[in-house]
Parts: sequence; C-alpha cells; structure tokens
Amino acid sequence: MYPHSHHKQDQPILDVSHLTVRYNGHVALEDITFHLHNGERVAVLGPNGAGKSTLFKAVAGVMPPTSGEVNIYGSRPRRHVCIGYIPQRSQVDWNFPVSVADVVMMGRSAKLGPLNWPHKKDWDFVQHALETVEISNLASRQISQLSGGQQQRMFIARALAQEAELMLMDEPLTGLDTPSQEGILNLLDRLKQENVTVMVATHDLEQAASHFDRILLLNHHLVAFDKPQAVLHTENLLKAYGGRLRPVDGENILTVDDCCDEGEHDHAH
Amino acid sequence: MTTLTDFFLQPLSYEFMQRGIIAAILVGIVCAVVGAYVVLRGMAFFGDALAHTILPGIALGYLFSGGARDVLFWWALGTSVLAALGIGAISKNSEIREDTAIGIIFAGMFALGIALISTVRSYAVDLSHFLFGDVLSVSTQSLWLILIFGGIVLLTVFAFYKEFTTLSFDPILAATLRLPVGLLNNLLLTLIAATVAVSLQTVGVALMVAMLVTPAATAYLLTHRLSHMMMLAAVFASLSGVIGLYLSFYLSIASGAAIVLTATFFFIIAFLWKRTT
Amino acid sequence: MHRFIAVTTSLMFLLTACGSKPASDSPKAVPVVFASTTFLADITRNVAGDRILVESLLPIGSDPHSYQPTPQDITKISESQLLIINGAGYEHFLEPLLENADGEREIIEASAGINLRRDAQGDHDVDPHIWLDPNNVILYVENIREALTHFDPDGAAIYQSNAETYIAELKNLDAWITEQVNQIPPERRLLVTNHEALGYFSDRYGFTVIGAVVPGTSSDASTSARQMADLIDVIKSSGAPAIFLDEVENPNLAEQIADETNVRVVTDLHLESLTDGSPAGTYIDMMKHNVTRIVNALK
Repeated sequence: MYPHSHHKQDQPILDVSHLTVRYNGHVALEDITFHLHNGERVAVLGPNGAGKSTLFKAVAGVMPPTSGEVNIYGSRPRRHVCIGYIPQRSQVDWNFPVSVADVVMMGRSAKLGPLNWPHKKDWDFVQHALETVEISNLASRQISQLSGGQQQRMFIARALAQEAELMLMDEPLTGLDTPSQEGILNLLDRLKQENVTVMVATHDLEQAASHFDRILLLNHHLVAFDKPQAVLHTENLLKAYGGRLRPVDGENILTVDDCCDEGEHDHAH
Repeated sequence: MTTLTDFFLQPLSYEFMQRGIIAAILVGIVCAVVGAYVVLRGMAFFGDALAHTILPGIALGYLFSGGARDVLFWWALGTSVLAALGIGAISKNSEIREDTAIGIIFAGMFALGIALISTVRSYAVDLSHFLFGDVLSVSTQSLWLILIFGGIVLLTVFAFYKEFTTLSFDPILAATLRLPVGLLNNLLLTLIAATVAVSLQTVGVALMVAMLVTPAATAYLLTHRLSHMMMLAAVFASLSGVIGLYLSFYLSIASGAAIVLTATFFFIIAFLWKRTT
Repeated sequence: MHRFIAVTTSLMFLLTACGSKPASDSPKAVPVVFASTTFLADITRNVAGDRILVESLLPIGSDPHSYQPTPQDITKISESQLLIINGAGYEHFLEPLLENADGEREIIEASAGINLRRDAQGDHDVDPHIWLDPNNVILYVENIREALTHFDPDGAAIYQSNAETYIAELKNLDAWITEQVNQIPPERRLLVTNHEALGYFSDRYGFTVIGAVVPGTSSDASTSARQMADLIDVIKSSGAPAIFLDEVENPNLAEQIADETNVRVVTDLHLESLTDGSPAGTYIDMMKHNVTRIVNALK
C-alpha cells in the first residue's frame, strides 16, 4: 500500500529543478535549482518568510510545486518514504497524550501499514534510534516533559526510525541554549556516519559556516549555493537579508537581526 | 441494608430500564473513544453541528415512513454521514474559514429540519424527544443497532488507531509517510457521524456534543497516554450513563440531561483535583 | 402516507378558506361560524343545518394538545363572528390567536355548565375530554343551539328542531354503547391510554382508568422513568388487557410497556379529531368506531 520507490544510485539524492511554489497569490519560491549529494550536510539560510519551510515541504512531497520539479533519487518525492521532516518545535501540540517512544514509533507507520501492530523489529528500530540520539532513558515520558534539546532529539530519532535518508530540519537550533545546540550539531556528525543527508534551516551564520558542507542562501529565489566561504560575502548577504543586517564591532562581521519580521514564532522553549 | 440493595435493584427490575442502561453504557463507550480524537483535534463545534444537521433527515424520515424509531435510525445515519463529508469538503475547498462554513451549514440544515417538521403539526412531542433524548423507549431492535454499529465504529478505531493518532498529532508526518490522508480524514468524519447517529436516542441532538467531549476531556486531564485516555473516558461515560439513569428514575428528571450533568460533574471534580496537585 | 394526507388536507383546507372569501359577494351570503375542532364542527353542523357554514379551525388528523397555529389561523379567526370552542382549558393554542386577531366575535364554550373532572394527579388540571361521553354532548347541543339562535334569531325554529333530532340520535348512541360495553366482562373493563382522555367515558360506562403512559390530560407532557415503572407495575397487578392510543400519538413508549407487560396495543382510536370519511367522519361514527375497538380488545 505504501510506496517503496527504488533508489537509483546514479541519481542525486535530491535534485530540484526550476522549482516555483505559489499559494494564496503569494510567491513563496521562485525558480529554485540545485542538487545534493549523498551524505551532504547543507545549511539553509534566509530571513523569516524567505520560503525555507516551503522549500522543505516541497522537497518532502507535502506541498505540490506550482511549476518545476523535485526528484529524489530520480523520482517524485511522493514515491518515497525516506524523507524525514522535522518540524519547528513551536508548531507541535506538546500536550498531546503520547510518550517519546510513541512519537518515535510513529515514524514506522509507513513500514507497518494499516491493521498491523508493531513487531519486535520495529521496536528494535525505535530502540536503536533513541540510543543514537541519547534519550533512551526518556522513552516513556510524555512529550511535554522534555527540554527543547530533548524534543529536537526525539524528532531526529523519529526520522531515524523512519529509516529516512534525507532529513529536513526546520530551525532545530532556535531557542536552544548553546550546550544544547552543540549537542544537536554533534549529532549531525553521527548522522553523517549513518549516511543520512541533512538540510538544516538556521539563522546562525557562524554555526552554518563551521558545521556544514554547503550553505543554501534563500530569499524566495536562490541567492547562492556553495561552500560557506564562497557564500558568506557581504554582497550575497545583502541580497538575501536586505536591510536586516547590522555591522558589529567595526570588523567585517555581520549579524542578522531578525526580531521584527512577519511570521515570528514563539520561542518559549 | 435491604433498602440500599432495593435502591439499586428496583430500577433494574424493569426491562425498559435494563435496555436504557445498556444503551447508555454502549453509547458512552463509543462516544468516549471517538470523542478522544474530537477533543484532541478541536472538533467539538463540528460534532455539535453534525448532531443538528441530522434534523432535516429525521423530518424526511417522518414524512416518508412515520415515526418508527428503527427506520429513523437509518435516516439519521445517512444524513449524518452525508453532512460530515459535506462539511469536510466545504471547509477544505473554500475561502471561508472552517468554523464559519460549519456554522452556516449547521444553522441552515437545522432550520430546514424545523420547517419540515412544522408542516406536520402533530409531532411536537417527538421533536422534543429528538432534541433531548428518549432513553426510555430504546427497543430491543434499537439496542441491536447500537451494539452492531457501535461495535463497527470501535473496531475501525482499533484497526486504524496508529494512523488516526499519527494524523492527529502530526499531519505533515502523515503526509511524508504517504499515509492516505484524505481517506483517513473522511473515515474519521464518517466514524464521528456514525457515533452521533447511534447516540442520538439516548441524549438527543442538543446534548450530543457533551457525550463526545466531556468524558474525553475529563480523561485528558488525568492521563498522559492516549490509550489510557480512551479507556478512562469510556469508564467515565459509562458511569455517567448509569448514574444519570438512576437519577432520572428517582428524581423524575429528563434522562439525557441527567447523564450529561453527571458527566460534567466528573469533569469539574477532575479539573479541581488537577489544580490542587 | 397518512401524514401526507394530513398535509394535503390542510393545504386543501387553506385553499377552501381562501376560496370561500368570494362567498361573501354572492347574492345569498351564508355566514361563517368557526368551531375549534373537527368534531365540534360536526356537532355544530348538525344543529346549524344549511343556514350557516360551519368550519373547523384545526385540520383533520391534528392533535389539539400540541397544535402549533399558523398565521392563516389568525386570518380565519378575524373573519369569524362566532367561535364555538370546547372550553375547560382545551384550546391552549387559541390564546395567542385571539390576542392578535382583529374584529370582535362571540366565543361560546360548548361545555358550559357541565360538571368537570380533574386529572388523576388531583388538583392540577381540569380534564377537557368531555365530549367522549355522548350525554355531555347533549348539553353541548343545547349550548350551541342557544348560541346560534342568538347569532341568527330568524333560524330559531330550525335550530330547535335540528337539535331535537340530533339529541335523539345521541341518546340512541348512548344506548348502543351501553349494550356494547356489556359484552365486556366486568373485571376486564380496565382502560390504559396514552394520556388521560377517557375519564368522562369511564365514569359514564363503568370502566376503571388504570393509568396513562403520559401523565396528565394532555399528550404534550413527558414521562419520567419512574412513571413508566409505576404504570408497568399497575398494569401487571390489575391485569389490564390493552393500551389504547389515538392514531396521532407516537406509540413508542406504549410499545415498550406492552413488550414488558404482554398487553395489546390498539393504535387507531380517534379521540380528538375526526377522519376524512370512514371510519370516523362524524362525531357519532367516531364514537362508534372507538367503542368497537375498545370492546373488541377487552371482551
């Protein structure tokens, strides 16, 4: 019942070609073209409202393109169940009566099919996923009892249980304290060992530069897509962030000021 | 002590009370389980609207086939399923906000029902039974219908439990896992519709939403796991049904209202208990 | 399809009401008198003969206890100069209509001067089902004759002779009923009805009213569980053989009780309205039909 498309290994894991997404009369993404290699870690940068979430949803096959194509291993996203989407923590109903293990097990739904209950193999996947992200001890906690960092790890574990090969993380570092952020970034290294390709939306230019292979700079259209040193130039950043830059310390280090954009989320965690 | 046993046994010595109590328990369980999803997905208004949109179907049932209770069940079932899928379709496809769309349909259908019923002047009493419940006249055949259709609803929830739960918690995950989201949503709407049709006889249209929402909301306060929430809600709902009917018997108050007041009482206790712990 | 007949009949009635307006332009204008219900209209017609057109406010097949009036009814009342009602609180639905209708009219209570029963609860309501004892209807006829004579003095003699003829028929009816009832063994002269409608009938012909599904003298009330339980108990202990319902009443509760007590349910009495043609096209036919059904069920 659920799609299991063959992964053509000669095709890139993600190939986006002239992708345009329009909804409610609003152009979210325009003519985006890029492709990813297996195992890459890509940071997606851009101001709020730039279309990062929309890009992730189009890649995941959740939002249909208005024009253009997205291909995962050579076929449409909807033919794959190997794409893990990790939502922004502010979009989640934390009072939902489920435990950490329940949520991670949800990732196995595609493999299970209807009228089937989880087998030992599925529990093994869940267990392994929880161990990889180091929250095995929290398996039976209700999800509102987690810290921000633990919540993030739970979703990554879910994507692992899903056997995702491409993970799309929507602002996983926002609102976390520095140690937690470091923890998540280190986790990304471990994911590379599991051969998982990762796209992470973030606001932190420094982290983007130091922990990722390439940076995708987005503002409704593709501003730049290259190694960090090649992308992080004033010219590119001005194109992407417009008037939202502030010079700091008189040196050529720019910080993004994004406190006052539309669609600002509640970073209460 | 004999008076206490008498107190409990006396109502049970009447067959109509036995059937009424069984009906209230069965209805309570089905409403509680389906109601868990209604509460978690914020569909209380939808549930209330659905109960009201059944009225024109009932009116047509009266016009075409008299007042036989069991025939009316099929009219109620058909109308509620159509209404549920219709509301679902409209709120998805139009520019009007979902609650506005629901409100418009709800009021329009209810008015249509009243207009139809007013053309047949002699059914004022029956109208009040549909609005407020009539657990006293549950026939053996009605009980079978409640058992069979209630059972189908429960089995379906059981079969698709993880799909419904995934869909309710994270619709985007459901989409990325290529679960048949549209189908599952419509299936859930149909289950809610069937639950409403099955439960109409005990609590009536006006109080239907209480049976869907109150026991589940009470359980929500007391447990962190969805499966426990459903079971606890079923317990509260059944208890409310039995206690409500006993209250109705000894205090001569309307049975539907007694059941809902009992369920609400449980909620208030749970709410206060939660605040103090 | 009975309801469709009721709907179409009421529609036809409305059309007749509209259609009868031009009658006032015709050379020989026949005055219109309204009676509240179909059986009252029939009784009044028997006194009025051809001199006056008598029409019923309520359509055939309606339940006066739960009747919801329409704006058309206000129009009808406004046009009438004489209104014959049962009285004893029967016509609740009339109060708002009378408040809102123009013009003036005389309102005659057909049951004026009759000793009234109260309902089984004791002091609550008066029992209005007076017409179900034909001997009371003799008094109705007297009151109506007087009213018509006052309204149309020229017809006094005709009304007098019509009344006498009809009263003779009513006395025959009374004798016939007594004879029929004698076929029922005394211990089985037990009546259970949907609401308390047969009080005067029982008093006159020697029945005992065991109880009613819906407490009180109106079909508009609702039953509690305890009341149902009590009724079941009393039916079992008294051995009442049947529950009697008017055709316009919902039989659901009665059928529940019948299941549990193993009694018959008779659903086609006509107590508060005539039918269109047989079996209860006139008051006398209505009474004969009811008595036949009761006697057949109990003997």
